[in-house]
Amino acid sequence: MTKAEYKQRKRLREREERRKRQEAWEAARGPLDLPFLLLALLLLGIGLIMLLSASFPSAQASKSSNYDPLYYFKRQAMFGALGLFAMFTVSKINYERFRGLAKLGIIVSIVLLVLVLIPGVGITRNGATRWLGIPGIQAGQFQPSEVAKLGIIVYFAESISQKREKMRTFREGFLPHILLLGVIAGLTLKEPHLSGAILIFGMGAAMMVVGGIHWGWIAAGVGTVGVGGYLMLFTDLMAKIDYNAARITVWRDPFGGDLEFRRKYAYQTIQSLITVGSGGLLGVGLGKSRQKFMFLPEEHNDFIFAVVFEELGLVGATMIMILFALLIIRGFWIAIHARDRFGSLMAVGVTTQIALQAFLNIAVVTNLIPNTGISLPFFSYGGTALAIQLVEIGIVLSVSRQMPAPKAG
Amino acid sequence: MAVRDNRKNTPPKAAKVKKRPQDSARLAKLTIQRRTLALLLVFGVVTFLALFAKAYDLTINQFDEMKERASGQQMKSTTISASRGSILDRNGTILAMSASADTVFLDPKAINDYAGDLDKKRAEKMVEGLKEGESLPISGQEYKDLLARKLAEILEIDEQKVNDEMAKTNYQFAVLARRVEKEVSDQIRAFITDKTFTGSAIQGVHLQNDSKRYYPYSSLASHVIGFLDGDNHGAYGLEALYETELEGSTGLAVTAKDGAGSEIMFQYEQYYDAEDGNDLQTTIDSTIQYYLERGLEDMISKYGAKNGAAGVVMDPKSGAILAIASNPSYDTNDPRAIYSELLQAELAKVDEENPPLPGEDHSEAYWTELGNLQNKQWRSKAVSDTYEPGSTFKILTLSMALEEGLINRNTAFDCAGKVTISGEDIGCSNHNGHGHQDLKKAVANSCNPAFIKIGLTVGAEKFYEYLEGFSLLSKTGVDLQGEGSGYFAAPDKFTTLDLACYAFGQNFNVTPIQLIAAQAACINGGYLYQPYVVEKELDKAGNVVKQHDATPVRQVISEETSATVRELLEYVVSDGTGRNGQVAGYRVGGKTGTADKRGTKDPVNNPKGDIIVSFLCFAPADDPQVIMLLTLDTPRRDTGTYPSGGNMVAPTASAIMSDILPYLGIAPQYSGENQTAAEGTVPYVVGMTKEEAAAKLAEYGFTSYRAVGDGETVTDQTPSGGAIVPLGAEIILYMGAEKSGEPCKVPNVVGLSAADANRRLADAGLIMKSTGASGGSGIKAISQSLEPETEVPAGTVVTVQMGQTSSTAD
Repeated sequence: MTKAEYKQRKRLREREERRKRQEAWEAARGPLDLPFLLLALLLLGIGLIMLLSASFPSAQASKSSNYDPLYYFKRQAMFGALGLFAMFTVSKINYERFRGLAKLGIIVSIVLLVLVLIPGVGITRNGATRWLGIPGIQAGQFQPSEVAKLGIIVYFAESISQKREKMRTFREGFLPHILLLGVIAGLTLKEPHLSGAILIFGMGAAMMVVGGIHWGWIAAGVGTVGVGGYLMLFTDLMAKIDYNAARITVWRDPFGGDLEFRRKYAYQTIQSLITVGSGGLLGVGLGKSRQKFMFLPEEHNDFIFAVVFEELGLVGATMIMILFALLIIRGFWIAIHARDRFGSLMAVGVTTQIALQAFLNIAVVTNLIPNTGISLPFFSYGGTALAIQLVEIGIVLSVSRQMPAPKAG
Repeated sequence: MAVRDNRKNTPPKAAKVKKRPQDSARLAKLTIQRRTLALLLVFGVVTFLALFAKAYDLTINQFDEMKERASGQQMKSTTISASRGSILDRNGTILAMSASADTVFLDPKAINDYAGDLDKKRAEKMVEGLKEGESLPISGQEYKDLLARKLAEILEIDEQKVNDEMAKTNYQFAVLARRVEKEVSDQIRAFITDKTFTGSAIQGVHLQNDSKRYYPYSSLASHVIGFLDGDNHGAYGLEALYETELEGSTGLAVTAKDGAGSEIMFQYEQYYDAEDGNDLQTTIDSTIQYYLERGLEDMISKYGAKNGAAGVVMDPKSGAILAIASNPSYDTNDPRAIYSELLQAELAKVDEENPPLPGEDHSEAYWTELGNLQNKQWRSKAVSDTYEPGSTFKILTLSMALEEGLINRNTAFDCAGKVTISGEDIGCSNHNGHGHQDLKKAVANSCNPAFIKIGLTVGAEKFYEYLEGFSLLSKTGVDLQGEGSGYFAAPDKFTTLDLACYAFGQNFNVTPIQLIAAQAACINGGYLYQPYVVEKELDKAGNVVKQHDATPVRQVISEETSATVRELLEYVVSDGTGRNGQVAGYRVGGKTGTADKRGTKDPVNNPKGDIIVSFLCFAPADDPQVIMLLTLDTPRRDTGTYPSGGNMVAPTASAIMSDILPYLGIAPQYSGENQTAAEGTVPYVVGMTKEEAAAKLAEYGFTSYRAVGDGETVTDQTPSGGAIVPLGAEIILYMGAEKSGEPCKVPNVVGLSAADANRRLADAGLIMKSTGASGGSGIKAISQSLEPETEVPAGTVVTVQMGQTSSTAD
């Protein structure tokens, strides 16, 4: 290779790279999807207000929050601001660049999930080891399962988008994905973190479905979940296995059983139902919840939406649910209109995750399903979770930037 | 491969893609789009419809239930107790009052938790090591032992009881002692605030404000007042009858609380003020009530009345009951204890005859008997029990016949000792017959044949009308608990024999309260009043909330008829069967009564049957201020006194009246033969000459004196100055002579005439005060206030009850 030839090739290569960079830059310069962005910001804002309302009595009464009524609100707002910054940053990045992070992301996720299970490394709270400390930052903690969600979204999107029609096959389409999902969901379940595992599994499964696995598998999956759910909820099978039997008994008849049983197992559910029900049509008024005064447990967390029901009533809560529905519909709409399969799949992953989480959370609060302990996106207290949700929103926004403009006419 | 694929999809090359369509990529994208649309429908629409349906059910359909559950746990309601009203007598003396008293209770759960904390602290200290001057905190068990020991000591209960209550660790409220006295609650308060035991105040022991009812006069008017049950609600008497008025209304403070039970935010508070109960001012005069109860007690102990006695003192001009009593009685402060000695003996007998089962205090029979006796002592005989009144009812027969103009003072009656009506022989009290007599005599003799004749003259129809007119056929409506109603033959079954018997007060039943109300109408000018005990209801500020309206129900007989009845009845006391009812210095009218108790005759054990003896009297006879009816149920026949109302009841009535009348401010008027009964205050004459002393004594109404010794001036006197003695008493003036320090022995004067008794007492150095009958033949001393052979200082006044003991019934 001559020097000139080398220079020529180098120039070509550099030009090619510049062109690619330019191309990518230009691709990411399309407009953000305004409806999706506005819905997300609206929910974030409402969520913060409700968090303030729900959390101040326990913050004021608790030593762990320094008796500062604004304690949770301030921290959540800080993470919200951080998350918003991250969201806009991510939305500016050409999402195609995430392809390169797919393998690394999934490996890091698995490492973290294993790390948290090693005794002495993970941080245990309420009998569940779900947190890892961030070295160098005092009191800085995060949940590896949250990272894993992101990891799964990116990796599955990358992997599925490449497989195309091979997704219909068992060996290449179904097996590797289900195995990976099994490992990650299994590790999460081991913490134990049932709701996290359900979310990860549900989200991954949704991406596989959308990605084009064979109908047979979908039918088999729906069948398995259906039969399993039926056996668990409507037969006495669970009572024989014993684990989690109480929460199913409670689900069936929250106010049944003797006092001791109710106190031990049904307290959360009973308080949640009372909170939701006593709100009535129009609610007791913003900020005026009484149930948040140490009757309703986890009132700024998993059960924050019960406080929404109590304060804003069926009307207010329904309006918020409609906002969630619109956000989800818009998320899937972006997925449908995305420029490529990778973008579609990431949008599906993110949207499914938010949809699943919102549904499961409100369903638990209203006792539509047994209590699983799941947080509500944008509302529940939790800094890393909120920040990662916003990053995910940022990914969808990034996808939305590259949607081909609708054809004229 | 993937990179290439991607590149082909980027917009700048879009034209190329179109030219070289890649079917697999297109198909894959189409699949994604279709399936995403399906997800969109599931997650964006279906799930939210399900959530909405569930939420609608909860917030709309189950709203009421959840709201109630919410309020139930969010609201903390604290009752603000109202103070119960007092019951006062007519002079404002408190008969029943409430004072605050604390109830001591434990919070076993808190105690247990605290004991756990102590153990934890102790363990920590053990690990840490003690600093200088620090001591190891007590353990949880030591804390519990401390509570048991101290509380048992202060409350005077078993330690075991405290331990048992503390063991109920699932509970937060276990009562240790209800309504303890103030000294006790003060000790508890001191104990629980004492920080020396654990370094902080005692946890889990609390005092709850409560109130306790006090009855300052114990058994006085117990049947009127009644008592409270364990929850401070009226159980008996006025306490029960006027429960609503006395209780007031409990206030309520409703505040919002948080899950830990502390109050939150003032804006949720709601207060319902407590309204204190009203006071009841009764017509009862506690002094008169005392005289009456003492009289009943005295009568029962003298004549051993098996079934007790009852008495009513009333103002005939309003129906106000001044005193009403029944015996056996009870202590309102401890109503469940058997009060009367007679009933105590009965209970003891049952206890002795029925040995308890092992491990038990008493037998089943004992508890049954206890219950019976409690009911017996709580029962107000004067209001609840009915009886055949006997001759005191003749007042009514007399009144109606006079009112109808069927008889007058000059109507003459012949009595042969018995009369035959419808084939039945009815005897007179005097089996030999009273012979020929005018109306006045017939009434004074309580002659049955005469009254049968009067009754028959009135006729069944009129007689029945008057029964109705005197309101005997219905309850009086007196505001006392458990009023009974009398029973009479139905008008269509009212036979001539019935009429004949009714005329002298047999064959029907009335309650004492019914009878006295009717009798009052006969002597007060003819007006029937409803008897009552609650004069007015006062609120806490003293405002009158309700005032009894003492307007007569109706006029039954005319003023003139009533005046005649009074006159005839006064004659009964001055010269007839009621002579024992005389009160020195007062004009008293009255009527005796002795009635057979139906169905008590038993040829072997009780050939003569049981009787109820009674006496009705009023004074002053010309203008009655007070009327009184006394009954004595089943007196013994072996007391030496012939059983009759005149013999057994009238003397007591006289004694009671002689206390009541001066108390009511009715001045005695002495005249003629009863002058001796008048009293005066002995003046101080020591230091005077004999003549000066005599003049001074005469000035005070004392005419009789005796000088002992021969000194110039009076050195001592008996009775000493200031003593109140009958004006007829002989005053001894010691003229230098030593007053005999020897005590005098009281002689027996029962059975002597007034003059003989006076002489005998004077000889012994004592002064006689005679009460009771003073006019008429056959009057003798029937009792004396000091037992014979008692040694007392010279000049002591001995009260002698004068009367007669005839051997006929009235």
